Amino acid sequence: MATTTATITISSTDLLTDELALSTTATLTAAGNSTGLVGSGGLGRKRLASGHAQYVLFDGDAYANGAHKIYLKNTSTTAAEYFTIEINSEQMGKLYAGDWAFFPWEANADTNDIKIDPSADDMVLEYMILIDE
Amino acid sequence: MATTTAAVTLTSDLMSTNMSVSASTTCMKAGTTADGLDQMEYGYLDLPTGDEYDLIASTPTASKASKLYLKNHSTDETYYVAVTQNAQAIGKLYGGDWMFIPADFHDAAGDIAITANGGTNKICYALFHEGTVLVTT
Repeated sequence: MATTTATITISSTDLLTDELALSTTATLTAAGNSTGLVGSGGLGRKRLASGHAQYVLFDGDAYANGAHKIYLKNTSTTAAEYFTIEINSEQMGKLYAGDWAFFPWEANADTNDIKIDPSADDMVLEYMILIDE
Repeated sequence: MATTTAAVTLTSDLMSTNMSVSASTTCMKAGTTADGLDQMEYGYLDLPTGDEYDLIASTPTASKASKLYLKNHSTDETYYVAVTQNAQAIGKLYGGDWMFIPADFHDAAGDIAITANGGTNKICYALFHEGTVLVTT
């Protein structure tokens, strides 16, 4: 069985009076059991050329309902540049330069697409899907 | 300026070559490299089954660069927390899973809502933000 882990570390020495240090690791498994995820879309990199139109990154129609995991990173170094992330037509948030996101994706409907919309031309997004097949 | 960093490492042996992906970001206010997110809300609570709840009771300032961390601390692999935004399903956080997203809170309907399944789930969350509209008494 494949073992895939996701570790997050959040830290700050000056946000609070006391130091903030949070770290946790999840072993990623299929929905409702302890079997490791067995599929991956690999690590991808996409440059949104011109026109910065909204782009379907993952099509809900192409994946079964499951415990998929999504990783996104905005590689821009220009602070004001962001990708707007939407699921179906609901705006989750804006991924600013250098920011990353990691979240479960259910793909519970054909319309449950993950869409990205860059705020400027020629922005580059790194992405990966870990698939619950 | 408060400096808060969030780092992720993904590792896997599911491919023929071991995979390791890492990223780190300093959580900044929207559109700037000069000022970090300087406010935080943090909680650890039992989430009973039966109803859907707003995770954040206050109203964070809309359309900023807030970051939301959420972990399901349940140890039963069949338990999960369904996470939605404005009734749109995002995904299910099974026992031990966590997520970290930019949360836009674009309007009054843009809340992150959570629903426990399987039994009472224990969750931990942290919101790093630029300000909230507090609820008056």
